[in-house]
Amino acid sequence: MSRLTRSLALTLVLVLLAPMIAVPVAVAAEDVKIALVAPLSGRWARQGQLKKMGAEMAIEEINSQGGIKALGGAKIVLREADAGDSVEKAVSAAQRVLTREKISAGIGSWLSSFTLGVTEVAERLQVPWLTLSYADSITERGFKYTFQSSPVSSAQAEQALDLVVELAKRNNRQIRKAAVVGDNTAATVFFFKPLREKLLAAKGIELVVDEVWTPPLADATSIVQKIRATQPDLVFYGATNFPDSIQVLQKVKEFGLKIHIQGVGAWLVTPEYVKTVGKELLDNIQTVVAAHPVKGQEELVKKFVQRTGEPFMTQDPLCTYAHVWLIKEAIEQAKSADPKAIRDALAKIDLTTGPAATSLAPGRIRFDERGRRIGAVPLIVQWQNGEPFTVVPAGLATRPVVWQK
Amino acid sequence: MVASELAQYVATGLLVGGVYALMSIGLALIFGVMRVVNFAQGDFMMLGMYLTYYYALAGNVDPLLGALLTIPPFFVLGLLVHRLFLARVTGGGDPNREMDAQLILTLGLSLVITNATTMILSPMPRGINAPYATKAFAAGPLLLNQARSYAFLMALLLAAAVYVLLTRTDLGKALRAAADDPEAAGYQGIDVRTMHGMAFGIGIALVAAAGGLLATYHPIEPNVAVNFIVLMFVAVVLGGLGSVPGAFVGGIVIGLVQSLTLLLLPLQLQNVGVFVTFLVVLYVRPQGLFGRRARAV
Repeated sequence: MSRLTRSLALTLVLVLLAPMIAVPVAVAAEDVKIALVAPLSGRWARQGQLKKMGAEMAIEEINSQGGIKALGGAKIVLREADAGDSVEKAVSAAQRVLTREKISAGIGSWLSSFTLGVTEVAERLQVPWLTLSYADSITERGFKYTFQSSPVSSAQAEQALDLVVELAKRNNRQIRKAAVVGDNTAATVFFFKPLREKLLAAKGIELVVDEVWTPPLADATSIVQKIRATQPDLVFYGATNFPDSIQVLQKVKEFGLKIHIQGVGAWLVTPEYVKTVGKELLDNIQTVVAAHPVKGQEELVKKFVQRTGEPFMTQDPLCTYAHVWLIKEAIEQAKSADPKAIRDALAKIDLTTGPAATSLAPGRIRFDERGRRIGAVPLIVQWQNGEPFTVVPAGLATRPVVWQK
Repeated sequence: MVASELAQYVATGLLVGGVYALMSIGLALIFGVMRVVNFAQGDFMMLGMYLTYYYALAGNVDPLLGALLTIPPFFVLGLLVHRLFLARVTGGGDPNREMDAQLILTLGLSLVITNATTMILSPMPRGINAPYATKAFAAGPLLLNQARSYAFLMALLLAAAVYVLLTRTDLGKALRAAADDPEAAGYQGIDVRTMHGMAFGIGIALVAAAGGLLATYHPIEPNVAVNFIVLMFVAVVLGGLGSVPGAFVGGIVIGLVQSLTLLLLPLQLQNVGVFVTFLVVLYVRPQGLFGRRARAV
């Protein structure tokens, strides 16, 4: 064997053995992809934008803290898809994002009507889906891959009515007449339904105005005229479309009405309300939400404000922030990025610590067999001097409640 | 139903319809002269709202004045859009193929404008918060929203100005000639292509001004056009395709019907009244309220 041949043979042996004798080096773990299907265009685009902010903040935190430890420090990456302004577009966006590449879990899609469609796609493709949407029907279809972190609309209606009646009593006021005013999107429909059918009557409250519209609303005069004529003590208000909501509020001011407005959802506490109608008009208006910064989350809010330039944090970014952290915890427990394994981990999860648990009142996350979060409670948020604060329950409140004079 | 309540519904309908009318006459003018169905009309309205907002923000300009100040830049913008894009698909060639190209072009323009605005200005709604948006004139038992009343009056003035322009000026005569018979107008020395540009510029300027008036009481966001574009088309077809007075009346009728429908139907079915009226008018008078068999302005 010539010297050259010996050298070549030795090189070949070394090359073949190298993988076996090489010192293990850190191999970049494969990224874990999470889908966010939210309205990024159309009339609900602002809410989608806020949701995205929350998801991005959580992802940055997780990745900067070393990623998912169970997967060798795998990073989370966000794949966003625009749900647009119709159920069809939302479904199509979900289909596109979930079939283009391997997605471990998904979040979305803000409006309950969209979520109903999107979760059908996620169920079919067996991708676990977390949603903040309120409609009862989202978790009434026997789906295995849908997890609803918010209290459902009907429960919110019941609890919100109890809370408001109690608040009124504490302020020596009695609620005798109520109005329901809002659009016909799914969450609002499910909130109003039990009020109409039983809850108001059970408390001896007369329903004097019942006005529902399909967005967009052409003009709010007729609604506010009816409110003026009947003088309800409380108006349940569910206008998810910003221009519609503004029209009603402007009309209330124009007619000089002093009414107690109880909103249904977090759409009523976005920063642009202050810029559009002024803080005086908003003062004391309150709304029932699934999440809002509570006592002890001051640092999180500060970080969010610094990062995004938004004046305050609301339900939408807070929920997606919690959802991303929750998915991370599920992956850690499943030790896998496989959607089915994550689904099983979410179904069994019982989280009482960490960013996800502290973001969703009352601080514990576990789901029942339908995918509804056990023990989820609504919060009441009230506008005070141009900023919305959690006022109920008192233990989590960042400000005391003020009753409309 | 007491008379004052009925009067309130009528007054509200008229005020709402006034701005619909101004939005619609620009569309009618463009269709009447150019035979172009401009799907981007609502998006130019949205841009007019933004410009009025920035006038108010940067220069503290009252939005009613701001609405008027949108007219010159949008007229120029209309001329440019016509020169750069529409002139390539109008005024020559196979009318059927041209119509396809026009539809695709204006739809594309609409998508580009909406999405570019969303990207550049963000989807965050903005509002001018004009003090008169939440005040009302009291006329006996009637309450007339001040912002809508001012917008209605301005819309009437602008519509009257367009009417005078079309019927009392040489430019108006040339525009009408180009609409009635482009070939004969060309033989008379009228530059039909220039007239198309003028019609598009005026049409865009009018809808931008309508957007400015709308901005006095309506939030501004990149997708605001979808709330109005269908109503604009209904007003134009109801009034008679291409008829400017028809579009004005069509807009007013839509506002009135939307409001008066609430006397009979629940709020949820507000637009049902509009579309039933639309169908009835087209059944009885297929050319629309002011339409002629031949095209006219």
